[in-house]
Amino acid sequence: MATLSPTLESTPVLRKRRRIGVALLLACICLFGLDAVLFRTRLYTSILEPASAAGYFEMVLRREREAQSWLGDNVVVTLGNSRFGYSPKIIDHLPVKAAYVLRQAGIGGTNALVWYYMLRDLDPTAQRYRAIVFAVDDYDDEDRLSQPDDDITALHYVIARLRWSDTIEFARSFHSRQVQWEAFRSAALKGIAYQSDILAFLTHPWERLASIELHRGGFAHWTYDYVETPRSMVGLQVDWSTMKATFPPTFDQNQRDTVSFLMSADPQNGRLAAYRRKWFGKIIDRYRGSRTKIIFIRLARGPILRPDNLVKKLSSSIREFAFRPNVILADEHTFDSLEHPEFYKDGVHLNREGAARFSQMLSDLVTRILGAPDQHTAR
Amino acid sequence: MLFNTVPFFVFLATVLVLFYASPRVLRRYILLAASYFFYGCWNYKFIVLLLTLTAIDYTAGIWLEKVPPGPRRKAVLIGSLSANLGFLGFFKYYNFLAGNLALLAGKPVHSFFLDIVLPLGISFHTFQSMSYVVDVYRGEQKAVRDPIDYALFICFFPQLVAGPIVRAHTFFRDLFHWQAPSGEDVARGIFLLTLGLTKKMAFADQFAKVANEYFKNVSGHPGAVAAWSGVFAFGMQIYFDFSGYTDMAIGMAKLLGFHFPVNFRRPYLAVSITDFWHRWHISLSTWLRDYLYIPLGGNRHGPWMTYRNLMLTMLLGGLWHGASWNFVIWGGYHGALLSLERIAGTNERIQKESGWLRPARVVLTCALAMIGWVFFRAADLAQSRKVLGEMFGSVAGQSLLAPWHIELVLIALLLAVAEEKFEWSEWLIKAPMPAYASALALMFFCIEVFGVIDASIPFIYFQF
Repeated sequence: MATLSPTLESTPVLRKRRRIGVALLLACICLFGLDAVLFRTRLYTSILEPASAAGYFEMVLRREREAQSWLGDNVVVTLGNSRFGYSPKIIDHLPVKAAYVLRQAGIGGTNALVWYYMLRDLDPTAQRYRAIVFAVDDYDDEDRLSQPDDDITALHYVIARLRWSDTIEFARSFHSRQVQWEAFRSAALKGIAYQSDILAFLTHPWERLASIELHRGGFAHWTYDYVETPRSMVGLQVDWSTMKATFPPTFDQNQRDTVSFLMSADPQNGRLAAYRRKWFGKIIDRYRGSRTKIIFIRLARGPILRPDNLVKKLSSSIREFAFRPNVILADEHTFDSLEHPEFYKDGVHLNREGAARFSQMLSDLVTRILGAPDQHTAR
Repeated sequence: MLFNTVPFFVFLATVLVLFYASPRVLRRYILLAASYFFYGCWNYKFIVLLLTLTAIDYTAGIWLEKVPPGPRRKAVLIGSLSANLGFLGFFKYYNFLAGNLALLAGKPVHSFFLDIVLPLGISFHTFQSMSYVVDVYRGEQKAVRDPIDYALFICFFPQLVAGPIVRAHTFFRDLFHWQAPSGEDVARGIFLLTLGLTKKMAFADQFAKVANEYFKNVSGHPGAVAAWSGVFAFGMQIYFDFSGYTDMAIGMAKLLGFHFPVNFRRPYLAVSITDFWHRWHISLSTWLRDYLYIPLGGNRHGPWMTYRNLMLTMLLGGLWHGASWNFVIWGGYHGALLSLERIAGTNERIQKESGWLRPARVVLTCALAMIGWVFFRAADLAQSRKVLGEMFGSVAGQSLLAPWHIELVLIALLLAVAEEKFEWSEWLIKAPMPAYASALALMFFCIEVFGVIDASIPFIYFQF
């Protein structure tokens, strides 16, 4: 080879190259601008699939925001996952009128990260509610195989609520590099997270619009009127010495699988504690100095009690929060009376009877903790 | 390290920075090291094979120039070609031949199989290498004196694994008279890189999902509509996949100051199969023309010899793609269509046609190409027969394509027709900055919204 021979680079060439650099920068700005116009405004979030994670989150948020305008002052918002199975309707129809209105802003399959973003947009001033009730499985930290700190589904719940300023912190809150990267790019360019929703919309746009219309009109009623199944776990037996469960033949696969989940004991590594400290910590910090109390309750543990020595738990992050101002831990045995097979529809969820009892107990508990509401404030 | 992954872009950025930050005398070493690193990321052991072939053909080139015309010179040529074809034959065709021999001998097909890993891009770099040796033999190319230059010709990373097959004179012209890319070339390079990535991630990979679903379970998707949609999806996948890869390769080369030939010119707008092969994988079809069809006699010895030569060229072209009877039949199918068009004088007539006949011919040619893709994509002959049976002899069934797939195709068709008529991409490359930047932004947006991001579906031609 002669060599990669030197050539004199003329000024116009350099200028042209600089222009290309500027063009690339401009293209990136345009991309982020386009993404912002479509996905950071209501333009796209208003047509999200209602049954999707993001769509459902937005429906709940919208329902609760609308409720704020007519609910008065003595409102308590509750957050938890699908195990937090109480019915606001039952509470509203108790023979003795409940002192506080309980609103369910929790969503099945969610956890503290999702609840943080829900509260941030539901209660921007951190003053709206008399209390926030968080339902947790345990005050102690029990790590499970699927860890919430690496659960990318959280991204799909909160995607519409993420701001530019959240990008780094949100992404870094995940455990593995791969999930961090996935969270980062989706938080920066939301179109990536909305991809499957967009393709589904393009496939059936009219059906989507009709479904949105239907949900707008009915979602609040459907969720309020929802009634649990009367199916129960009566007949379930667990021999903890051999770790064997015996099921009546009528049990379906879901009932069996959830009992297996209940019986499993996974290695403890402290990740759940770190996760809870981070996200509950952020929520508690947000309400520092607010009138809003933060209440933690421990849910009934299941249709059959696990032996205490099944898992050696390393920490108790929720109990640590009890020392923070405004944070109250309900007696962890409050709901022990629900821990019977007749109150459960599967290994982890309450059935109709369980939900009814739990609703009343929850309402009583909240009144007990918060005391009588201000008389002069309207409900 | 696939072109559509973050690690590759980190690699490319590093190479570009090192290349332009280094003194010019070092740059080819940087490219060579980067190319071997790129290849080694797939399987470092095969660098030895690459080096061996490089050494053989480099030496053959020097000898061919030194040895006077005669039997010894021919022997050098044959030696070099045998080495290339020997390696290619062993790695790519041994198991195919062994399987067929076993069947002929009445033994199970796997009886003589060896556990052979096909080296990445072997079909491409051996063809590139052979064309160099033949060009030197013909006196059309001077032997390269510096082994570094020759090694770089063989392993230059943008086109090492899936082409385009670059001719020696093109590559060495750029290498020996290297000029820093002009502003326009940089613009073109970035444009092509982005366009290729868009084609791959937003188009090819989306269609790949449909095609893979269909061909994974043909029986599960009965009916002609299902079959045509599955095959059509593959037709779209392979075009966007391969032309996307090529665009990226050409774009990267441009950024490094090299100018690769065009490899695709909107093949699905071809009005005949002859026209199709003037637009599809042009670097391979011209290679086959120059080093196989013409040496076989081309069209110089009457119609029957022409048809024979066409058939032979396309059969070998088919076999080049993969060692299976499916590829042989695919090549034979195209050879037969090319011969039929010659018999009918279609090409001469088409040039005079206008009006509605041209779009009708485009549709017909596209459909014929799609039928050919059945052999290309199907796992074996039995599956090919099954798919063709579904396409032509069954009830309707259900389409596997969603409406948005059709929308993607219509957008692509519109852009292709506009490119054919107005060459808008050239206009955009030279357009004022806001227009150029908007085009890039739109492509980025397409990747964001339609791109298959996590699946990392490999480029189809990487397997050849």
